[in-house]
Amino acid sequence: MSSDRVVVVGGGPGGIEAARGVAGLGLEVTIVEKLERLGGTPISENYAALTPNFEDAEAAMDRMIEAMLALPGVDVRTSSTVSACEGESGDFKVTISGAAGDETIDAGAVILATGFQHFDPGRETQMYGYYEHPDVIALQDLEAMLKDHNVVRPSNGEAPKRVCFVQCVGSRDRHIGNEYCSKVCCGVASKEAIEIRKLLPDCKVFIFYIDMRMYGYWENQIYWPAQEEHHVQYVKGIITEVLKKDGRLLVRGEDTTMGRPMEVLMDLVVLSVGMEPSRGTREMAGVLGIQQNKYGFIEAANPPLDTVTTSREGIYACGAALGPADLEDTISSAGAAAMKAVSLLRSGKTAAASS
Amino acid sequence: MSQTGALYKAEAVAGYADVPLEEKQRLFDEVKADMRFPDYIYGCYECGICVAVCPSARFYDFSPRRIAQAVAREDAELVYQQMQEDIWECSQCFSCLRCPRGNNPGGIITIMREVSINNGLASAREALEGYTRIIYKIMSTGTQVSPDMLQPDAFPDWGPEVKDVSDKLELWRRALPPETHHTTTTGWEVSDKTLVELYLIWHKTGALKMIEEVDEGLHMILEEVMEERLEEEGIEV
Repeated sequence: MSSDRVVVVGGGPGGIEAARGVAGLGLEVTIVEKLERLGGTPISENYAALTPNFEDAEAAMDRMIEAMLALPGVDVRTSSTVSACEGESGDFKVTISGAAGDETIDAGAVILATGFQHFDPGRETQMYGYYEHPDVIALQDLEAMLKDHNVVRPSNGEAPKRVCFVQCVGSRDRHIGNEYCSKVCCGVASKEAIEIRKLLPDCKVFIFYIDMRMYGYWENQIYWPAQEEHHVQYVKGIITEVLKKDGRLLVRGEDTTMGRPMEVLMDLVVLSVGMEPSRGTREMAGVLGIQQNKYGFIEAANPPLDTVTTSREGIYACGAALGPADLEDTISSAGAAAMKAVSLLRSGKTAAASS
Repeated sequence: MSQTGALYKAEAVAGYADVPLEEKQRLFDEVKADMRFPDYIYGCYECGICVAVCPSARFYDFSPRRIAQAVAREDAELVYQQMQEDIWECSQCFSCLRCPRGNNPGGIITIMREVSINNGLASAREALEGYTRIIYKIMSTGTQVSPDMLQPDAFPDWGPEVKDVSDKLELWRRALPPETHHTTTTGWEVSDKTLVELYLIWHKTGALKMIEEVDEGLHMILEEVMEERLEEEGIEV
């Protein structure tokens, strides 16, 4: 018994775009989201504005959701998870677990869009004192403050006079095991740096980096304006440790291009944490029986020319479930996953159709 | 820790007096206030391409990148240190315009030099000390090097031929085809009109005033020469 329905797991930007794509191509789609609200990490982690265009994150996500709901054949299941997926391409039995219990539905294909989670800066070592010093925060903590238009030192509620970002926290590190670049943190940190400079014009903002990775247009959408118009100071050299001193934070590192060690006081230290596969991505890899790479992200079967097909026929993945991805990547791969899922179901060449 | 954006206090460097941070900031503000400044520094990648193309960097401990970085980072301490040292090692060839960001480290140095001179910094005096004769010549006559400067004692490294030439200087000069080169006290014949115009330019642009900051004696001589000539023309300055 073949089904033309596609199940999308995950209600963030990737999942919403994949569901929009499937519905737009005329098939029925069920989108399953663990949380009560659609919108994914930009909403659940309180993002203020999207990178690179500074659009209000909540408004942008609501616009996507609205466009998806306006299409026929979209079935939304919030506060729900996928707990089983039996069968084969063209004829999957997908069990959705929600508050009302389990329900098994027919689906021809599945798209996984369960995304990433922010690296926990205390996971391996505590060298930056994330759990020790209240004034050491992470990118998403600053997003929440920016959303409230109130950037302060958590220790005393005062506006900071000197803020620094530490790049590549939890990325590009053999000890931690995350050897990859998380792609977005350079842009996000620069975007947040601009927002701080706008909000607190007297506050000096520094970014300590290994190398700035501002892909494509991000270069002069975020990086150049941060440096040239907002006078954010970029210093090539990574911080080794953060120490408490006289009620402030002493950061130690090397100013490599000036060729000298540095010890500078900061009021607020922002850790530019990278991406790791979300709990949902790890769990769903097991539920769906699809291969993960050594970092836990979903393994694309035939890269680079097919980025969304997984190891199990009829199951596709998109966005940051596949590895670090910015919104532009996520939306693009979500469209590709929707197109491939619909193509498969329309081709009449699913495993179910051939048996 | 300074609040000016400086990450460090510059190392104490022998050879020039340290001044309070406020004074360093004032000098840096004067550099930034120059109308050319915004076109000379955008943001610095710290990529080093300006050092790679810089002829001075091959011979001195000099880096146009550090100049661009210091001003981009608004590090008044370091800018001051550079105004006392580094900027005089630049040959102003502007090869550093190769910068992919469109920065002009050589241009920043031009401004830093002018501010150094206008404020009578020790480094400016020292750097221009050896050029007294040249400055006098160019500002009083409008030509840089004159044939009568070719004396064996002045340029011993030029070899024995200099003596032969200087002994019969007028003859040698008259052998040159252009009549305007039949001169010995100037590089070529400078017309009265040109000289008056040059004197006016030195006055109006503040170039004469710059000389006053670095060499008072030279300034007095130049002023006398110029004012006398301008007076003859009935021009008041």
